[in-house]
Amino acid sequence: MRKWILIAVITAALITLLDAEENKAEIQKGIKMPYMAFPMKKGEGMYSTKGKCNMCHSWGYILNQGAQSKAFWRKKVIKMIDIFQAPIKNEDINEVVEYLYKNYGNGKEN
Amino acid sequence: MLRRDFFKQAALIAGSAAVGSTTADADTTTHPVDNRKVADIAFPQKRPLITYSDRPPLLETPREVFTNPITPNDLFFVRWHMPMIPTYINPHYFSIKIDGEVEKPVKITVDSLKHDFEPVEITSVLQCGGNGRSAFHPTPGGIQWGSGAMGCAKWKGVRLNDVLAKAGLKKNASWIKFHGLEKPVYTKTDGFVRALELEKLHDKIIIAYEMNGEALPYLNGFPVRLILPGFYSDSWVKMLSNITVTDTKPKLHFMDHAYRVPDNECECETSDNLVPKTKPIEEMNVNSLIGYPTSGIQVKQGAKLIIRGVAFDGGHGIAKVEISTDGGTSWQEATLDDGTQGSYAYRSFRHTLMPKQAGTLSIMTRATNTKGETQPFAEDVKWNHGGYKYNGIDEVTVEVVS
Ligand code: HEC
Repeated sequence: MRKWILIAVITAALITLLDAEENKAEIQKGIKMPYMAFPMKKGEGMYSTKGKCNMCHSWGYILNQGAQSKAFWRKKVIKMIDIFQAPIKNEDINEVVEYLYKNYGNGKEN
Repeated sequence: MLRRDFFKQAALIAGSAAVGSTTADADTTTHPVDNRKVADIAFPQKRPLITYSDRPPLLETPREVFTNPITPNDLFFVRWHMPMIPTYINPHYFSIKIDGEVEKPVKITVDSLKHDFEPVEITSVLQCGGNGRSAFHPTPGGIQWGSGAMGCAKWKGVRLNDVLAKAGLKKNASWIKFHGLEKPVYTKTDGFVRALELEKLHDKIIIAYEMNGEALPYLNGFPVRLILPGFYSDSWVKMLSNITVTDTKPKLHFMDHAYRVPDNECECETSDNLVPKTKPIEEMNVNSLIGYPTSGIQVKQGAKLIIRGVAFDGGHGIAKVEISTDGGTSWQEATLDDGTQGSYAYRSFRHTLMPKQAGTLSIMTRATNTKGETQPFAEDVKWNHGGYKYNGIDEVTVEVVS
């Protein structure tokens, strides 16, 4: 009986040691970030929006907002340009807003 | 006031606002989105978590983890602002550079932090200022978190004051800027830089190299991050690489535009009448969360149901946690743990119930701190444009079966 307990204790100690080693190894090797797909809904303006909105962050940022009004999406695109310097030309704003609203809209203008 | 009256009042306010207002919906607050599913992919050193983005990584901790007064490292939430994050750091070469208004600029390695300074430990809650933001309507700017953009860990490191003393502050020093290794893709985008006013420094602010007895996970800021017990986590800079002392208040997007609330008593405003004067979010509001049970589960009629969860505030300490099963009309005190984790940490609580009737059962929790500050009902939390500092009374709903 005592022998089994001893073996169990040693095994547990070894596992903890291995865990610690693994943690250290992972830090020394660095990490590999996974890619996650946040698929965009297909529709007019998708490709142009993809180029403009996936540059600085994943599409997950947009999905996380939930269905929103047209004014909301317009304000968001303008925030990206004004605050974060997104390189989106004035004449391209409408296309992006239309795509966002058509595919991630809540049916309300405001 | 009874909860029913709150609804009535909310309906009245909603009605009146709709008349003269340009916004289609009046401002309202509900509970944050609950029960979002964890992803099927795990990030490095993490178990699968609720995942809003991979670039930069935004990972939320699911509710059931909040039965534990310590949040395990592999379940701890993750929030970065910028997508370019080093995936490899050699801790032997990494150093923190301290410059600006100092007597002698220095570079301090992780080894030096561990060997040349007095180590200190503190158990503290780390909570995003936008935790619970999905409760606010209309949708404020920012990530629409549920309730899990928080965790509590035991941090080990060295006092920021001790590290600054090594470089020696000049007489004109007044602000300290903190910069980590995360970077924007586009060079014109402002980096994530934060600053603290010198007079707000204290000895509990530390540069941590350990979290719950292990090296910090990469995604939580390996090899070192700033810890500001009691404050929301906007200044808890990860992969801390630069500390720059300045003589004037630096102009920074993430200080001047983000992480601010209206500078008034209620820290509130309406969406069609924003308050122009704002202040940093800083100290955390008193808050509590139920870890068990989670909404939607079935429990047995007449059987013991042990409600468990965590409560915390900005460091004054939790005085009591109460439970209500009648929609907030009557409250019973829950049992708190012994509080040995200290006043910046989670205080875990438990309360035993015996559900008598089959059907839907609502369970609410409300924490009160030692200053007497308490949580409002979810629908009474006042709106602010950034959706910060949400601390509505938590509620889960279970099905009692016979
Ligand atoms: C130049 C870089 C850049 C581009 C291009 C960009 N964004 Fe952003 N976006 C940011 C940054 C920086 C943030 C803030 C990151 C953070 O805090 O996590 C952000 C945040 C967001 C958020 C979160 C909510 C908020 O209010 O902060 C949404 C939604 C968003 N962006 C949508 C878009 C859309 C839609 C587009 C395309 C029109 C876009 N972004 C293009 C840089 C960019």
